[in-house]
Amino acid sequence: MTALIEARGISKRFRQHKRFPGLLGAFKSLVTTEYTEVTAVSDISFDITAGEAVGYLGPNGAGKSTMIKMMTGILLPSAGTLSVLGRTPHAERMANARQIGVVFGQRSQLWWDLPLLDSFTLHQRIYEIPAARYQDNLKRFSALLDLTPFLDRAVRQLSLGQRMRAEIVMSLLHDPKILFLDEPTIGLDVVAKDAVRKFLAEINRERGVTIILTTHDLQDIETICPRLIMVDQARLIFDGELTRLRSALGSARRLTLEFASDPGPVPLSSATLTSDEGLRKHYLLERDDVSLVQVLGEVGSDRDLKDVALHEPDIEEVIRTFYQRRNAAAAAAQ
Amino acid sequence: MSAYAAFVRSGFLTSFAYRNDVWANIFGKLVQVFARVAIWLAVYAGATMVDGISIQDMITYALLGGVVMGATRYDRIVRHVGNALKTGDVAIWLLKPVHYPLYLLAIEAGASAYTFLLAVVPTIVIVALVYGMYPPTSLFHGVIFIAFCALSFLIHFLCAAIFGILAFWLMTVFSLEWLLQSLITLLSGMLIPFWFFPEPFGTIAAHQPLAWLVYYPSAVWLGRFDIPQTLFYFGLGLAWTVLLAFVLALLWRRAANRITVQGG
Ligand SMILES: Nc1ncnc2c1ncn2[C@@H]1O[C@H](COP(=O)(O)OP(=O)(O)OP(=O)(O)O)[C@@H](O)[C@H]1O
Ligand SMILES: [Mg+2]
Repeated sequence: MTALIEARGISKRFRQHKRFPGLLGAFKSLVTTEYTEVTAVSDISFDITAGEAVGYLGPNGAGKSTMIKMMTGILLPSAGTLSVLGRTPHAERMANARQIGVVFGQRSQLWWDLPLLDSFTLHQRIYEIPAARYQDNLKRFSALLDLTPFLDRAVRQLSLGQRMRAEIVMSLLHDPKILFLDEPTIGLDVVAKDAVRKFLAEINRERGVTIILTTHDLQDIETICPRLIMVDQARLIFDGELTRLRSALGSARRLTLEFASDPGPVPLSSATLTSDEGLRKHYLLERDDVSLVQVLGEVGSDRDLKDVALHEPDIEEVIRTFYQRRNAAAAAAQ
Repeated sequence: MSAYAAFVRSGFLTSFAYRNDVWANIFGKLVQVFARVAIWLAVYAGATMVDGISIQDMITYALLGGVVMGATRYDRIVRHVGNALKTGDVAIWLLKPVHYPLYLLAIEAGASAYTFLLAVVPTIVIVALVYGMYPPTSLFHGVIFIAFCALSFLIHFLCAAIFGILAFWLMTVFSLEWLLQSLITLLSGMLIPFWFFPEPFGTIAAHQPLAWLVYYPSAVWLGRFDIPQTLFYFGLGLAWTVLLAFVLALLWRRAANRITVQGG
């Protein structure tokens, strides 16, 4: 299968004019021609194929929004080649625009003073969506995101969560092949986040819309995106399946054994003891190929085992482990 | 309906969202037009003719100034464009299959139509009933007056949009708005028609683009020019429109380029 998006060695450098603090500094800033260069994206390559859902993750300032802007054609890369649906996004911005949907969590594309439905109608005109298709999409998406009661409400009267759902519905009305979302769940409450996530996952699964989303909320990625791209300080640091990250890091599963009476030390070859509270003992299962049955076999039936709990590492833990190891490796290299 | 027709409609409807503004608007316009009429009554001080222009001519001129300048609001356009560029909101228009300057024109046409129908027409009717107003000199002058009004709207829009885009490079939106306001007050002929300007300033003023905002539409209504002269000035106004449209397109391309290369 050919890639929908091909990024090859993409970099983006911004020039920022030097500013100096204070009143004197303000005058100095006026005349100075000095500037500092910020590398927002540095030599990043990846391929994204049709139907994928990719989470783009990284700390503040890592270059996520910048990458989204380049893929949507509103920023020109400083170096590298970028191809989206076979086009160079910046050079063919208009043609590209018709086939992609974009949602910026921080910037509304709705018409503030008009009823929500009017924003959607305008979108229909702008993208020349056939009437039947438009009605069909509008009905379906609005129902899925519980937006129908708000259609005749002025946008400025909507809550943040209602507005964000509206932004997402609008971005999909023209049946884009790719949907870019820059922090779509920012500022939403748990219920709204959940609705948005389920909706995006469904759109991806049922309609085959390719999704690329940036977020700080790992739960977004867990629900929507099987694939994860991680960036830090402008560089790509991981690209692959979330499950692969998990197993590569071997983020250990945690096992808790609870006994009815204190059995004394219970050493296991398949697991490492982390804490011993007597009746309750905690272990780390570092190897993936060890099964619970194996462990229990080793514990034996003669010990007074009451309860067993096995915790899969959650994504937060996986990512934290990943960053910790990276930092440790970087420190060791120095 | 095309996207741009839909923008005109939404410009019109957006104005509706601020219904209460209509009354403030009508009142403000009434005061302005009355003030200008009052100034001319004071200047003429009982005389019926000054330099071959009657007081009734001047009252009509003041009213027509209200007609052509009442609806389009350069301040709104400069602010809209300038702020969109400075805050980066304009980026979303780079994401849509739409030409931003044409979008602006369409929105402004809708908003102007709204102000025209709900504020300008009532004002003019009221003032005309109070002071009286000349009809157009001939059918020809009446018909071409409408064409001059269209030209007035276009040049008005183009100048304001150009000033708005300049905010990207030059200075604050506010200072550009203020600068344009001064230029329009002086050079559109709104305050004083150019036939009262001393030469050579009258001739110079009559050839710069802002003259088409108020001076030419009003002078044509009053029959200051014969048919060939009227057509000539219409052509000249058209030439200015094309030139300004070209400048706007060029500036917009540079601005869009700067946004996509330097990130705003
Ligand atoms: N237009 C610009 N001009 C100069 N520098 C910029 C510009 N846009 C972004 N940057 C810089 O580029 C870097 C990456 O910014 P970007 O917005 O892509 O980060 P991000 O990963 O989206 O961060 P966040 O999670 O906070 O949204 C930052 O250091 C930022 O200051
Ligand atoms: Mg960002």
